[in-house]
Amino acid sequence: MSALLEVRGLRTVFHTRAGEVWAVDGVDVEVRRGECLGIVGESGSGKSVTFASVMGLVRSPGRVAEGQILFDGRDLRALTPREMRAVRGKEIAMTMQDALTALNPALTVAEQISEALEAHDETLPTRGRARRAAIRAKSVEMLGLVGIPSAESRLRQYPHEFSGGMRQRIMIAIALACRPKLLIADEPTTALDVTIQAQVLELITEIRGRLGMSVVLITHDLGVVAEHCDRVMVMYAGQVVESGPTAEVIAHPRHPYTRGLLASIPRPGLRGQPIRPIEGQVPDLIGMPPQCRFYSRCPVRREACLAPVAMRAAGEGRMARCILLDEVPA
Amino acid sequence: MTPLLQVEHLSKHYEGRRSLIERMTGVPHTVVRAVNDVSLSVGKGEILGLIGESGCGKSTLGRAILRLNEPNAGKVTFDGTDVTALDPLALKNMRRRMQIIFQDPYASLNPRRTVAEIVGLPLKLHGLASGEEARAITARIVERVGLKANQLDRYPHQFSGGQRQRIGIARALVSNPEFIVCDEPVSALDVSIQAQIIALLLELKREMGLTYLFISHDISVIGYLSDRVAVMYLGEIVEMGPVEDVLANPRHPYTQSLLSAVPEIEPQGRRARVRLAGDLPSPLNPPAGCKFHTRCPLATDICRVREPVSESVGPGHQAACHRLAEGLNLLDGAGA
Repeated sequence: MSALLEVRGLRTVFHTRAGEVWAVDGVDVEVRRGECLGIVGESGSGKSVTFASVMGLVRSPGRVAEGQILFDGRDLRALTPREMRAVRGKEIAMTMQDALTALNPALTVAEQISEALEAHDETLPTRGRARRAAIRAKSVEMLGLVGIPSAESRLRQYPHEFSGGMRQRIMIAIALACRPKLLIADEPTTALDVTIQAQVLELITEIRGRLGMSVVLITHDLGVVAEHCDRVMVMYAGQVVESGPTAEVIAHPRHPYTRGLLASIPRPGLRGQPIRPIEGQVPDLIGMPPQCRFYSRCPVRREACLAPVAMRAAGEGRMARCILLDEVPA
Repeated sequence: MTPLLQVEHLSKHYEGRRSLIERMTGVPHTVVRAVNDVSLSVGKGEILGLIGESGCGKSTLGRAILRLNEPNAGKVTFDGTDVTALDPLALKNMRRRMQIIFQDPYASLNPRRTVAEIVGLPLKLHGLASGEEARAITARIVERVGLKANQLDRYPHQFSGGQRQRIGIARALVSNPEFIVCDEPVSALDVSIQAQIIALLLELKREMGLTYLFISHDISVIGYLSDRVAVMYLGEIVEMGPVEDVLANPRHPYTQSLLSAVPEIEPQGRRARVRLAGDLPSPLNPPAGCKFHTRCPLATDICRVREPVSESVGPGHQAACHRLAEGLNLLDGAGA
């Protein structure tokens, strides 16, 4: 079966006063139908920009410079803005990290859900009372779907009247209103407490199964990926450094960055043992030479790493961007 | 052994503002009990982890201990001195020995001051050193936390988040304190940087013989570095004990649900998920009886009317729950 979303050689550049920043540099993504793909990376790794590029949401001074974005057989980069608007929100929906700033504070929840339905839902009656009633019924249904009790009365409320977890649910309800084929969830639980995070992630996983959609879960938390994603892509400084089935990547990481990331996570089981943090910090992407981007922090770097490094096969369904794959034991 | 820090029945309440009409008609203040009757102690050289979700009062507790927020009731004893009874001058002197590292490395540094000024300020305030000597001490501590001495005259905006947190640590340590409240010092940082700062804090603790009250919402971090842990919910400590005990054998249903919610990287570490109903109740209007009863799967009638008291459930391990005697564990599927 073909992939739902296939991105090849994506490059997104931001023109800044200090110089060009290739925030996304040669990224390939494949999202299969019905799967949950985890995108892991630290700030500045390009994980959000990659999917903003897919959604056609990169604005000046940024620009998608190269690459192919195939969604359900169509090249999204070839679409007119009008055609892209029809895809966005209807076939691909996105939720943002900070629900409080992503929701409009001056509109009720009902108004914000109906906005999506008005724009995209062609099954609704065309006008009049029947249309309003249908929109209302669907909005109530969506709030029910995301587990917000007494939906009828809560539709009349404004975002500030909801808690953080409830706001994130509302954003998911809006995103799912038109039953998209792909949901891109950008750090959906970063701002939430752990008990609420568990609720929201379980909700996303449950709805994914029920609606048969694909989910891209962007996060910096490997634990979240381990529990909810079939496959994972690890990004660093604008590039994918490793991808593969989640359980295998976590059990046997092949890229030094993935290994460092896993070793950096404090765990109660490691009490008394020193954690081994990755030294240094993410390099400045302005004027980045075409070398391995992890070079400056890599514990096993060598001279050959100063040449461009491509993604290579690293076992069944796995890829990694490291020239030492054969030497470093898996 | 007497503990270095002893907190007894500490409370911090905030009163809501009333309108003129409300004041004239005698409507009572709405009171937020951010910290309510909290007692704990920290031994010398120990790390006490304080864990809880946002709004549970853990930061307020940390600040009330240092009297950065004046507590309403209770007593804080540090190394035999009653901190709550100190006059302003004595308190200032005491602050040399008790410091704090803040969560937000962006908001907690003055953008108009250089690193040398920020880190050197405690030396000046406490009259410990001045001039060339102060600069030398500042340079030494700045290098110790992993920055370069030639960065002393730079401003905070020229540093990354992790580096700024290092500046905050240097500022807390420059006066050679004994006790530090670490208020979510790694929560705003990326995973790889977070690990660097944790490693640094542990090294410094060993070298300088420090004692930490480590506040965090991240159970993995607390479990990794604390000796003992206190779990807070709506302004109260619901469970406290040695970290291995509390993590392996949590007795309070809130601790159990908190542990079950943590996403685990290793499949064998995963536990049955305990679903908590709803959100944290508003601290403005906390539930009667046990404050956790609105979300607790084990709540019974007595939980709705009577507040549980803390009982010992093992060596140094205590919990406050009416149903402790039954030995229920939500992680084993009780209450489901």
